[in-house]
Amino acid sequence: MPESDAQHLTFKLVYYGPAQSGKTTNLLRLHDLLAPELKGEVMTMETKDDRTLFFDLLPLGFRAPSGLLIKFRLFTVPGQVAHDGTRKAVLSRADGVVFVADADRAQETNNGESFQSLAANCARVGLDFEHLPMVVQFNKCDLPSAVPEAEIRERWSAAPWPLVFAIALTGQGVETSFELLIRTVYRNFCQKLKLQSEHGLSEDAFVAGALGKST
Amino acid sequence: MTRGFDREWQLDELLDAASQEKIGPALSALLGGDFALTDQAGKALWGQPSPEARREALILELEPVGYLLSSSATPAALSAARQLMQNLLRAQVRFKMASTLHLESVAEDFESLKREHARLSESEARYKALSGELEARVKKQVGELEERQQMLYEAEKLASVGQLAAGMAHEINNPLGFVRSNLTTFEKYLGKFGELKTHPGPLAEGWQALDLDFILEDGIDLLHDSAKGMERIARIVADLKAFSNVDRASQEYADLNNCLREAVSMVEARIPPGIQFRLDLLPLPGIVCLPGHINQLFFNVIRNAVLAIADSGRPGEVKISSEADETGIHIRIHDTGVGMTAEQIGHAFEPFYTTRPVGSGVGLGLATARNVVQAHSGRISLDSQPDAGTTVSLFFPTPP
Repeated sequence: MPESDAQHLTFKLVYYGPAQSGKTTNLLRLHDLLAPELKGEVMTMETKDDRTLFFDLLPLGFRAPSGLLIKFRLFTVPGQVAHDGTRKAVLSRADGVVFVADADRAQETNNGESFQSLAANCARVGLDFEHLPMVVQFNKCDLPSAVPEAEIRERWSAAPWPLVFAIALTGQGVETSFELLIRTVYRNFCQKLKLQSEHGLSEDAFVAGALGKST
Repeated sequence: MTRGFDREWQLDELLDAASQEKIGPALSALLGGDFALTDQAGKALWGQPSPEARREALILELEPVGYLLSSSATPAALSAARQLMQNLLRAQVRFKMASTLHLESVAEDFESLKREHARLSESEARYKALSGELEARVKKQVGELEERQQMLYEAEKLASVGQLAAGMAHEINNPLGFVRSNLTTFEKYLGKFGELKTHPGPLAEGWQALDLDFILEDGIDLLHDSAKGMERIARIVADLKAFSNVDRASQEYADLNNCLREAVSMVEARIPPGIQFRLDLLPLPGIVCLPGHINQLFFNVIRNAVLAIADSGRPGEVKISSEADETGIHIRIHDTGVGMTAEQIGHAFEPFYTTRPVGSGVGLGLATARNVVQAHSGRISLDSQPDAGTTVSLFFPTPP
């Protein structure tokens, strides 16, 4: 459940995935691409070899017609296997997840293991994995060794989550992933948080506010 | 509000009193004397905000966490101070978030370690229990094997004794047959010879002179004695055969109570006076057995009981009881006879061991009995006190 008081509503969105799949890059590109009413700096905590040690954080926000300030706090988790405790702590209280997989064929095992750890950690921190808003992004699609899109779609055809094929370095697919996620988030919480009825926010207005552009 | 690393940090959490003490005077000096710091609600943390003061918001993420106020500073100076403070606060919030997250993840790692430890302890306990169980089972099986081996050894020993006995019985029976037959014929011949006495003729004088009357009479006595000796040999041979015959017969479904009654009636036919039988037989399940051998076994044990009472020279009682439980059939044959010493009990089941005078027993009764019991996977044991009596306990397992 998002944290809320009379004037604020904060959604916590987590970018999860195997090491070096491009989670931090996603955040950096989003910071460049989006122009919502309120946009903070990306707070990164990278070690000198560009590996995320704790998390990265990008705050975004806009005001609903009702005056409610809607905030999104986008976190990344550290991808390295050893940091599972940190991953779990960052994942807790998440309202939505973008799973950033590495499209490189050599990374298939890592993707699988990371996805399993996501499911297991959701259970540990009390998130309902079945109903958690989620988007699966396959990053680095431009790699010569990337698994072809058709093959990935075929493999994921039974899964309920939307698939996005991205090249985070150039920004391709980054915004789409975020948009698809907050659409699911909106549908998930619209009723409970009375977004439409009390705050006058339609799904499109919600997305437009978050992206800072008309859709 | 949660207290996680990802909460929205308040200004007074980021700047504790000690930090305020250091920053406040420094900023006052930089901003021309008047300086105040408030949180986002306007509550003063440092200095006294004056109503006409210029105000700059301190923003960490999206919204102000607090304000810098000064009435003496130029707008440029206040803006520069804000930049300075924001940088300071961002560094502080990064440190706070990282350290809180670190604590959370350490706690989480510790929790997983504890879970892992609990799982390991549980599996260790399980393996310990398993190994204990295995050890007990191995011990039990070794015990069973040793017992079997002992039984096999005993059975082998008895079988070879039995084979010897059977061979001897067979070899003795042949000459026994013709010697007995010859003795009978010879007695007839002696009768014929006796007719010589009344035969008319000159032989009568010589008859008298040689005292053939006595010789004829004594000869017949000697023949009778020999015939009795032959009987005795025949009986010993028969006993030997019974002893050696244990594992050659056909199996039948029988009630052991009936076998006990038959054996009692056989013994009763020739008991000395003063000996009572008391039967206390409870209903028994039928078992598959060799009834001929079982009868032989009961006969041997009951006859021993009767002889023990006869040996004591006083009246007595043979008490026979039977009962069944879920494991099998228990039979006790108790007498009030002479009893046995510990040493006698030790030897009681050995073939050819007897306390009776030579000629009155071969010492095969209990050996045969044990053979029969073991052939039925049963147990036999003796409990006795000299002069008080003896109890023979028999056990036959029933299939579960």
